[in-house]
Amino acid sequence: MAPHLSNDEFFSSLTDLLSKTSQKARGSVFLSQKPLIDSVSNSPPSILIRATDGNTNAPNPKASSKDGKVTKNKTSKDKVKFATVVNADDLETFYTRYADVCKSGMTGMKKRDRSKRKAKGKAGAAKATKA
Amino acid sequence: MPYLPTSQAFLEQSAQLLEAYPDTTRITTKYSFPTETPGARAKRAKSQAKKTASSESPSTQAAPTPSAPVAALTLKTYNPTTGIVLQYRTNKIAEVSRLITGLGKLASGADVASLGLSAPGQAAGDVEMIDAPVEESAAAAAPAQAGKSQAQGQGQGQGGKGKKKGGKGKR
Repeated sequence: MAPHLSNDEFFSSLTDLLSKTSQKARGSVFLSQKPLIDSVSNSPPSILIRATDGNTNAPNPKASSKDGKVTKNKTSKDKVKFATVVNADDLETFYTRYADVCKSGMTGMKKRDRSKRKAKGKAGAAKATKA
Repeated sequence: MPYLPTSQAFLEQSAQLLEAYPDTTRITTKYSFPTETPGARAKRAKSQAKKTASSESPSTQAAPTPSAPVAALTLKTYNPTTGIVLQYRTNKIAEVSRLITGLGKLASGADVASLGLSAPGQAAGDVEMIDAPVEESAAAAAPAQAGKSQAQGQGQGQGGKGKKKGGKGKR
């Protein structure tokens, strides 16, 4: 496993990964967080943050089955995977930035649409009067 | 595995789960686009085109990239030893930053109280009985959420009714 990135490197990699995924409009980004608990010290634990695109480097079983069969595995892409450790003291600053990076990177999601909501509210009111 | 109705409920119950099993519980966030067959893609593009055509004139802005599917964010709190999974799913970008901030609070070991939520009658620490709190919080949270969007409608609705009655000369 590759060594952990610094927090800054992690953010730049994550920005990159998110924008790539959003551009392609397919695929996923998996992010996970878990505390690194050592039983010795009683201080609040550091948090391990991992990010991956969910691909695998393992060979596709379909590809190795038969030559005659159509295989879906054209080029096995390399799995994107990186991680960082956040100290308990830095959590707040880290997560503020984390939220920003995610918000700006996840462009494939539904935008806030005020005009639509207004229209919906009116429709709802009309229904209420009818009922 | 249950999808929780509100992000509040998700954060709340995740906090409880983390409190109960701090060393084995992990939180995963998945940002993903739906997988689509070419057929489904064509279908969606068609229906979207129809939608924009029917609602055209007032909204001058075109539909944002009609060919792109809408991505979703799924949050999952998983404890492998007990097999408890809590999930929350959204596709609204507006929720993302709030959710991540919430995750940060969870990471720094915030408990239910400090998340600034108060679900009365929710048995704290009783994470094992996952079904009961889910329903409870669903019931508690639903009106809160619905209240926001319906408050306007209800108010107007009642006003309308009153007028109607008056019009019938029932006075």
